[in-house]
Amino acid sequence: MKPGFVWREAVALPWLLLGVALVASLRVTVESELRILPPPLSALVLALLLLTVLVRCGQLDPARLVGGGRRALENATGAVVLVALWWAAAAVLALVIPEAGLPKLAGLVLVTSLLANTLAASGGRAAALRALFVTCLAGFVVKFILLDALYDPSRGVGGRLVTSLLEGVTLGGFQHAPWAPLTGYLAFATLILFFVALSLLPRSTPHPAEPDLLARAGPGHLERAGRP
Amino acid sequence: MRPDLVRVVGLAGAAALAAFTVWLYATAPRTVAEVTGGLASTAGLYRVDEAAFAEGLQYFRKDQFEAARLVFERIDAARRDPVVQFYLAYSYYRQGWGRFYNDDELFTQGLAALDRAEAVAPGGRVVVADDPDLGAPTSEELRVELLEGLRADASDFNPLGALRTRK
Repeated sequence: MKPGFVWREAVALPWLLLGVALVASLRVTVESELRILPPPLSALVLALLLLTVLVRCGQLDPARLVGGGRRALENATGAVVLVALWWAAAAVLALVIPEAGLPKLAGLVLVTSLLANTLAASGGRAAALRALFVTCLAGFVVKFILLDALYDPSRGVGGRLVTSLLEGVTLGGFQHAPWAPLTGYLAFATLILFFVALSLLPRSTPHPAEPDLLARAGPGHLERAGRP
Repeated sequence: MRPDLVRVVGLAGAAALAAFTVWLYATAPRTVAEVTGGLASTAGLYRVDEAAFAEGLQYFRKDQFEAARLVFERIDAARRDPVVQFYLAYSYYRQGWGRFYNDDELFTQGLAALDRAEAVAPGGRVVVADDPDLGAPTSEELRVELLEGLRADASDFNPLGALRTRK
C-alpha cells in the first residue's frame, strides 16, 4: 500500500470528516450564544442514503477500507473512516435542512427525493457528486440566505407582513429561527470541506461495462476490450 | 514514519476528536468560556478566584444581589463551580422573596442556576455547611423554597403567610 494512501486513510480522512461533523453541529445564535445540535434521527437515515449513493456511483469503495484481506489495524482505520463519513454526512444534512416546522418537513422531503433520484439515475461518479453538491447547496441557500433574510430580526414592515402571512396561511406551522451570520459562513466552509473529504475517499476501480466510462474512454478503449 | 505508526496516530486523533464532539453534544455549552471551563474542569484544573468570591459574598450578605451576581458570573463564567452557582441561585431567591408575593422571574432564574449547580456538583447536591447566614444550606432546601415560591395555590391567600421569614 502506498504511504500516501495510508496518511490519507488513517489521518486526513477521519480527521477531516470528524472535524466536519463537529463544525456542522455548531450554531451561533443572534445573541452570540453557541448551540450544539447533534444530528437528528432523520439526518442519520438520510446519511445512509447518501452513503449508498456514494457506493453506487463508485466514489466510495468500502472493500478498500474494510475487508478480509486487510489486517486488523487497517480494518480499524477503515471502519473509522466509514463511521466518520456517516456522522459527517448526517451532520451536514442536518445543517442544510431547517430545524423546525414546515420548512423542516419540506427540506426533508426535498432532500430525500433528490437523493433517491440521484441513486436511481446512476449517471456516474462525477454526475452523482455534482447532484449531491447541488442538493446541499440548494438547502444551504434556502436556509441560510432566503429564510434567514425573511426572518431577520431587523426586517422591515414588508418582511413582517410576509412572515405573518406565511405563518397565518400555514396555521402557525411555518417557523424559522434565524442564526447569526457567522453560522452561515461556518456552514459554507463546512460544506466545502465535506466535499473535499468526499473527493479523497477511496474509489472503486472503473468497470469496463460502465457506459459513461466507456464513452469517456473513446473508441480506442472499446477496441482494447475486444468489442466491435 | 512507519505505516502502522501512522494508523495508530490517526486512530488516537480520531478518538480524541470524536470524544470531544460527543462531550460537546452531552454538555451543550452556550459560550466559548463554558467550553474551555468545561475542558479545564474535566481535567481537574478549573478554579475560581477565591478573593473575588469573598468579595461577591460580601455583596450577597449586604443584600446587594445584582452586584454579587456580577462578581459570581465573572469568576465562574464557565458555570462549572457548584458553590458559586449555588450562591447565584440563592441571590435570586433572596432578591425575589417577598412577604406578600415572590418575583416569579427571579425565582425561575434561581432554579436554573440551582440546576447548573447540581449538574456540576459531586453527587448531584450542594451543601454549604460553613455559612450560618444561609437558612437553606443545601440545594434540596433551596429548591423547595424556590418551587414553593413559584407555586400558586390557596395558601397564597392565607394572611398568616405575611409572618413567614426569608431563609
